[in-house]
Amino acid sequence: MLKKLFLVAVAALALAAVPLTASAAGKIKIGFLPGVVDPFYQVMQLGVEAAAKDLGLEVVTQVPATWGVEVQTPILDAMIARGDLNYLITAPTDKDQMIGPLKAALDSGVKVITVDTFLGDGNYVTGPVTFPISYIGSDNVEGGRISARGLAKAIGGKGTVYINSTNPNVSSVEGREQGFAEVMAKEFPDIKVLGPDYNLDDMNKAAQQTAAVLEQNPDLAGVFGTNVFSAQGAGTAVVNAGLGGHVQVVAYDATKAAIELMGKGVVSLVLAQKPYDMGYMAVQFAVADAAGVTSLPRRVETGFAIIDKDNVKDPEIARFIYQVPGQ
Amino acid sequence: MAGPETKAVAELATASSASLPTSRQFILVLSRLWAWAFLGLMIVFFVIAVPVWNDGSVNFLTLRNSQNILVAITPVLLLGLGQTFVIIGAGIDLSVGWVMSLASVLSALAIRSAFNAGLPLFPSVIVGFAAAVLGAGLVGLINGAIIAKLKVPAFIVTLGTSFIVRGVALLMSENTTVIGLPADIRDYGSESLFYFIRGEGGGLYFLAPPELTGEMLRRMDRILAYPVIVTAIVVAIAIFILRKTQFGRHTYAIGGNLEAALRTGIPVDRHIIKLYVLSSVTAGIAGFLSTLRFTAGSAVIGDPLLLSSIAAVIIGGVSLFGGAGTVMGTVIGALIIAVLTTGLVMLNVQSFWQFIVVGAVVILAVLIDQSRGLLVGRRARSRHAT
Repeated sequence: MLKKLFLVAVAALALAAVPLTASAAGKIKIGFLPGVVDPFYQVMQLGVEAAAKDLGLEVVTQVPATWGVEVQTPILDAMIARGDLNYLITAPTDKDQMIGPLKAALDSGVKVITVDTFLGDGNYVTGPVTFPISYIGSDNVEGGRISARGLAKAIGGKGTVYINSTNPNVSSVEGREQGFAEVMAKEFPDIKVLGPDYNLDDMNKAAQQTAAVLEQNPDLAGVFGTNVFSAQGAGTAVVNAGLGGHVQVVAYDATKAAIELMGKGVVSLVLAQKPYDMGYMAVQFAVADAAGVTSLPRRVETGFAIIDKDNVKDPEIARFIYQVPGQ
Repeated sequence: MAGPETKAVAELATASSASLPTSRQFILVLSRLWAWAFLGLMIVFFVIAVPVWNDGSVNFLTLRNSQNILVAITPVLLLGLGQTFVIIGAGIDLSVGWVMSLASVLSALAIRSAFNAGLPLFPSVIVGFAAAVLGAGLVGLINGAIIAKLKVPAFIVTLGTSFIVRGVALLMSENTTVIGLPADIRDYGSESLFYFIRGEGGGLYFLAPPELTGEMLRRMDRILAYPVIVTAIVVAIAIFILRKTQFGRHTYAIGGNLEAALRTGIPVDRHIIKLYVLSSVTAGIAGFLSTLRFTAGSAVIGDPLLLSSIAAVIIGGVSLFGGAGTVMGTVIGALIIAVLTTGLVMLNVQSFWQFIVVGAVVILAVLIDQSRGLLVGRRARSRHAT
């Protein structure tokens, strides 16, 4: 009996020792702090968790209920106060205001990887902010350009279009607006751009703003929604105005709702980002850094899948639609 | 009829309950101290529940974490401080969140232009403080004047001004975040009075930390960050005003029984205006501090904090019917919310649970407040009958 117990104890000890000796991955713990609760970040969380499982390490996730530095910072501070995290994967809610709080995290010994949004100008080699290991996310300026060309094509190269966005001074949506406006100005002189209006991550507000612009501009030909909230709100407004098909919407972020609106002919083009890749790779980067890898790229662009009504059924494309558990 | 009731209400605040039977006295004391007890129990719970990590050093109640929590409560507490006065005076101020945002924008613009005009850093920061307080105070003046002179309900007026202030803040900031401030202002927003470095080669430092390298930086705790000190000073002033001055007594009197206050010759209108100015000014200080901490002004920074700040005031035992409450109660209320957030995150429980717990505690607080009112009210009536 005693012998048996002893054997069990030895086996248990051996098992317990495995993760500690397995690899660098076993020795690190990662915090994941996205910007706000939405389908985009939920898919990113799936990527983070999948990588954590594959690499055998623990991740601690906290999701802010609303977008904003006064909401994200106390959660950040509390995560750092745990004292057991080595890396933090986060989407800063402001490219300037979050520099201080994230620098403080680094000072406490937690290395930072930014995903989706970046700090400063996103150039971590020669830019004003260089302390994060890497930025992993979309090339949002390019995404804005693709959206502009897609919308221009859908409306036949002339008319008035409108940008609905979420928050200013957030690197991701700011880049999209910039790329969109740039292409319209350079390549499509017959297209007039209105906005951006900011809905502060409120879908109802986005719908309202779009409805007002539709009212004001009966000749409006197209809308660019720069993220989940903007695109869904803008799409809703177009449907409610009975203008589905007459006013073309280009949606950033491939939510189920955006794809449904595409089925109804409201949305002509959906730009899918790759949040799963962002989450997965960020964990890999943390593990690599912990293992002493020194040549990690400081900026990784994860690319897009461009979804329209012709390819939406193609499984190679459809897999980029944001699949959130429970939906 | 009004006389004894006024007295009863006044007693809620000043609390002499000597003639009550012991059991009721006990309940009365308990009803006053429950928030302290709740906070204490919560801290004990988190100390036990939050695991100690490998080296045995990190737990919930560390120097660093206590300082974290103090920094985290400053904005909510500042919004709640002025609100405490307003609610004791039987009003409500729904504009504080956006007033904080406006003040953040105003102070950022002021600091930027003062600094760019060649003023040194510290005077520029003072200019920013003045801009925040004056701008916020003006909103309070408008709130108070409309409420006191035109007799429009406070709920409606402050709801209206909050929208106006929101618009003004967004317009003034142009793209909601005012950047281009001198980076060194972050020191005022996040540096502290003392620095303590744990372990080897460490020690306590006053005002400025020594030049540190990475590993030692991790062992450094900041004690009494400047925003915490500023907030503590405001709390002390608020306690003094409410407890020791005529202004405080008038606030209780107006909230307890407006008609009686009028009859005793209290300048009610002027007092109400002052209450709303006070409320806006503490929100303005919160906005100013956030600009320093985040080195940028933000036209949306205060919005998510409004409801938390009102919850803190109510949890702290301030009666929504007016006439009762303390500043320390609001401090405890704010602490309860911050301890919950930090504790739940450290336990790796989704921080959304915080909302559910806070909501339950708010309702509990009001129930306790009501039963206390019944207890004392009954006594007053029975004495009146004999």
